[in-house]
Amino acid sequence: MTLTTTRLWLTTALVCLVLPVLAQKAAPAPIEFGSVKAVDFTPTTSSDSTQAPAEYLCDYGTSKIEGGHEQFQVIFERTARLRIHRKSGYRYATVRVPLYTRDGKTERLTKLRGFTYNLQNGQLVKTKLNADALFREVVDKNHIQCSFTLPDVREGSIVEFSYVINSDFVFNLQDWQFEHSIPTRWSEYRAFLPQFYIYKTVTRGYLPFAIHETLTVPYSTTYTNPREGLAPLTQSQIHGLAQQLRWAMKDVPAFREEPFMTTPTDYLRSVHFELAGVNFDGEYRDLTGKWEGIWKRLSEDDEFEAATKEPASLATQAQALRQRYPDSTARAAAVLALVQRSVVYNDEARIYTSQPLRRTVERHVGNSADINLLLVQTLRAAGLPATPLLLSTRDHGQIQKDVPEISQFNYVAAHLKLPGRPDVLLDATEPQLPLGLLPERCLNGEGRLANAGGNWVPLKTNVRYTDYRTLRLQLSDQGELTGNAKIEYAGYAAVAARRQIRQTSAAEYLGQAARRWQDWQPAAPHLLADSLQKPVTLELALHHTPAGAEASVLYLPLLNLPDALPYDFRAENRLYPINFGMPR
Amino acid sequence: MRPSYLTAAAWLLMQGTAASVAVAGAAPRYAVADMPAALRENAHAVVRLDEQTLVVKSVSRTVETNRRAVTILDEAGADWAMQVVYYDQLNTVSYLRGTVYNAAGQALRQLRPSDVRDYGLSDGFSLASDGRGRAADLRQATYPYTVEYEYEVVSNNPLFYSSWRPQPQEQLAVEKSSFRVVTPANLPLRYQERHLPVGSAAIASTEGTQLVYQWQVHDLVAVDEELDAPPVSELTPAVLTAPTEFEVQGHHGKLTSWQTLGEWTYQLNAGRDELPPAIKARIASLVQGETDERARIRKVYEFLQANTRYISIQLGIGGWQTFPASSVAANGYGDCKALTNYCKALLQAANITSYCALVRADEPDIRTEFPSSQFNHVVLCVPLAKAAKPDTVWLECTSQTTAFNYMGSFTGNRHALLLTPSGGKLVRTPSYGAAENRRERRADVYVDAQGNATASIRTVRTGLEQDRYNFLFHSLDPAEQKKRIADVLPLANFSIAKFSLAPGAPAAVPSMVESLALTLPNFAPPSGKRVFVSANLLSRWASLPATVGERQADIWLDNAFAYSDTIRIHVPAGMKPESLPSPVKLTTTFGSYSSQIQTLADGTLQYVRQLRMPVAHFARTDYPAYVEFRRKISAADKAQVVFVKNES
Repeated sequence: MTLTTTRLWLTTALVCLVLPVLAQKAAPAPIEFGSVKAVDFTPTTSSDSTQAPAEYLCDYGTSKIEGGHEQFQVIFERTARLRIHRKSGYRYATVRVPLYTRDGKTERLTKLRGFTYNLQNGQLVKTKLNADALFREVVDKNHIQCSFTLPDVREGSIVEFSYVINSDFVFNLQDWQFEHSIPTRWSEYRAFLPQFYIYKTVTRGYLPFAIHETLTVPYSTTYTNPREGLAPLTQSQIHGLAQQLRWAMKDVPAFREEPFMTTPTDYLRSVHFELAGVNFDGEYRDLTGKWEGIWKRLSEDDEFEAATKEPASLATQAQALRQRYPDSTARAAAVLALVQRSVVYNDEARIYTSQPLRRTVERHVGNSADINLLLVQTLRAAGLPATPLLLSTRDHGQIQKDVPEISQFNYVAAHLKLPGRPDVLLDATEPQLPLGLLPERCLNGEGRLANAGGNWVPLKTNVRYTDYRTLRLQLSDQGELTGNAKIEYAGYAAVAARRQIRQTSAAEYLGQAARRWQDWQPAAPHLLADSLQKPVTLELALHHTPAGAEASVLYLPLLNLPDALPYDFRAENRLYPINFGMPR
Repeated sequence: MRPSYLTAAAWLLMQGTAASVAVAGAAPRYAVADMPAALRENAHAVVRLDEQTLVVKSVSRTVETNRRAVTILDEAGADWAMQVVYYDQLNTVSYLRGTVYNAAGQALRQLRPSDVRDYGLSDGFSLASDGRGRAADLRQATYPYTVEYEYEVVSNNPLFYSSWRPQPQEQLAVEKSSFRVVTPANLPLRYQERHLPVGSAAIASTEGTQLVYQWQVHDLVAVDEELDAPPVSELTPAVLTAPTEFEVQGHHGKLTSWQTLGEWTYQLNAGRDELPPAIKARIASLVQGETDERARIRKVYEFLQANTRYISIQLGIGGWQTFPASSVAANGYGDCKALTNYCKALLQAANITSYCALVRADEPDIRTEFPSSQFNHVVLCVPLAKAAKPDTVWLECTSQTTAFNYMGSFTGNRHALLLTPSGGKLVRTPSYGAAENRRERRADVYVDAQGNATASIRTVRTGLEQDRYNFLFHSLDPAEQKKRIADVLPLANFSIAKFSLAPGAPAAVPSMVESLALTLPNFAPPSGKRVFVSANLLSRWASLPATVGERQADIWLDNAFAYSDTIRIHVPAGMKPESLPSPVKLTTTFGSYSSQIQTLADGTLQYVRQLRMPVAHFARTDYPAYVEFRRKISAADKAQVVFVKNES
């Protein structure tokens, strides 16, 4: 084995590295595994967090890129210490670590250590985690879940664990989440990024960082070179500089979900990484590049744009619709309905197809990319210039437009430009969804057109959630009210009503509606014939007898109609912005 | 050869050729037009053909095969187009095949291996579980269509034989369903038939050395789910089966009675209750000097609750065999068997004998007349040796917060199989009636001249009524508890000025005390000279919805409770009640209700409402009377008090 020493060429592309401050001194780690003392059990005066089920005393993670065998690896190390305050907090002593595997590359959990500390009669008692007690479950072909639980946990215990994940995936460093459903006194993440791997970082959330800094530190690692023929293995010693990115948060309260949020991950403080480029030899190679670069790759991807270039599976029907509907809007609506009744959505939000489009047509089942790329293909076959629209669903989180990362998207819808008319957004994953409406889950900021132009398109809609009621009532001299109600649901309210009817039955839907009007002795509830252009309309006959008939003044209960005053905001305060998705 | 095997052979031949060719040549099957029209009525899906077979290979192995074709009529029935076949360390899936047909009965497509997803049933709750599933999805976008699935599961766990439930759900009709059991003559089948239509009882025959049992039903129309009725699965046909003898991973047992099932389970877990000397010594000193038996048990139980926690682990034979007590002692955690076994060992160290008791938790009670493995949980039963009259303490060992000797809705009021050295013994867990399940509420409402109000309310809940609140108290911090309580308060506009939720003093049944101070803006807005107030602040009970068609099922009222509300309404000087609702008193076999309002000496109005419901079953013909009873309560609950300003 020969050992060669290489000094990496220091590139001027690393503009953020200021050379004179070479080798800044890094702060000591905020936690040392195994160092809990009896005094740590004394609650701090400032905190009332003992009401919480448990709290993170310190959660510390580091990611480093290290040389390995013919490749670089990411070494992620996490050390966490929690105090379990109440029995309801016992579940925080069980830890689940998701691992990823693909194409023979894996993430491996190693060096698991753990202790539970209890204070018994003033004495510190340590119980060790038995490392055999690591359970490994293959969730599916790409996901493995490792889980372990700490021993001897009681109210008041301090638990501590540490593990390492060795990952072959240098494209993604481990994310870090600073906030949790329990309070966190200190959470810190450091990433050591050698100058030859350049990452983009994305931070999310609202609460402030206590520390957010970048240092330049020395870097060295050993890399085992690929074997050439029968030659002995050679190793390279690499010396250079690395950026140490450091984020920390202090005294973070427990996160609570509120009504009308997108997804908690949009609100929780977190940091994410994506490999932007490499520079091993002085020449920077862009790996994610610009949005345009992403589109170029997508356009060649068999599971994206290239999929739509196959002969259209619904070509015959598309041709027929082209003949039948000279008006492009009417034709688009007909193509949409065709695809909607050809394929069922399997509730998997994806940007890549799971199968060729002809197979989607054959199976009649598909994910969002299968269905909406089929829609794009069929619209084009019908002579309509459709474009795939990449977006992130509400439960997937908001898009950061300045970060060209494909992983920000999880869903494909379709976009159609019609001459002389406003652009139209379409989605075929739900039956009876009219032209121009995206499902509620898609109403999340902006989407991006997957074409060379690559414009951002607001996913806002002009269509409201409309619930319109008309009551015609006759008042008798005994104070009785008799008449009928006409309840119309339009826009997104109609989408929801049609969905409910489909998923139960018209009879069941009417039964539920009548039940809400129970105080009004509802009779003969019925739905008017449905058409996508009109609101869903339900009518019922009503009769109301006054409660205090003997009183000399009549009190008409018109402000007490069912759902007249929906009350969605019962909490006394609101921490985070409200996001309805659609106008109400 | 039976016809079904013929088609299976033809099927295998077809596999060799291209799917589309085979499809084109095949005769239509399951055409929707062939289906009797009555089966479509009120149904989201129709089982066209269901052939379930259980072949007992030996005392330690069974093979279950299924072929089921279901016509999906609409989106609400689409779940039947998906199939998940479960397996684990003791069960393997031999195959899963599927075909989808259009309405005309032409095969559209066959399931391919790449369409089947294999996944871990990681429940986000268990620390470890070997449960896995193979899932297929043959849903189509146009209705109706028919899916056919065939699968086979080989089981090395013959403690469970498959049951046959041809119509497990509401709004599902059945054209034809059959069940066939083939078993060696020396391992005869035990079975119980339930609600079988006339003429569909078992046909038993002998084929060589095999016993063959067959059942068949056809043309079962869809049934509806009704309110206050038994679950549909209790009303539709079923055949429960069980072995006479079985062997799981070398553990041989007989299942001819509750006694033998209990014996097998007892033996499987015997000798696993040895404690480390240190723990034994701790228990000895814990109960030293305590002579009262019940107090000794309580001390041991409190020790268990303070020092252990529940961790679910579902692996192979571990579903029936406990981890040793020493493992719980070392780790401080275990699953239900391990914690119950540990508690039994702790009690033993305090010289108290106890028995593990199998129950079916959180589901309808077991079928006591059919001994078989119907359990999913275990609790500890401690008969008091020194009590004057027979008495028993019951302990839930998986909860760190359940009150001593309390079996709530999860485990109470049902049968349990006591595991004793001489075998299994069926006993009952405690049940709680209206006297135990109480909700007592006292409130003072102060209305001001502008119609704004404040209220202070104290609610005491006991027995099963407190279960939910006890759970809230132990699982959430006070801010979250308050939010949950606010979410269910039946008031339109309020804010909570003060809130507390806490367990009441220890008693025979546990209790929870909730105190609320509310501000109620615009509670009773004046209307001219008058003010209207709903006396029943928080306890309105809705009437039942109008029935569509004739009531089919009997009435099952399964929760006994007694509610009492005393509401005092304080109005400003210068207002006096103009009219008071008349008292209402209803005494029926369904339950009793009364409400009345009186004026107290100081002018305060006092509203008293009482509702008491027993556990009872009634014939379906009583339904109109029950609806009337509920309507009257609902009407009385809406009573309003009208105040009028004194003429000045």
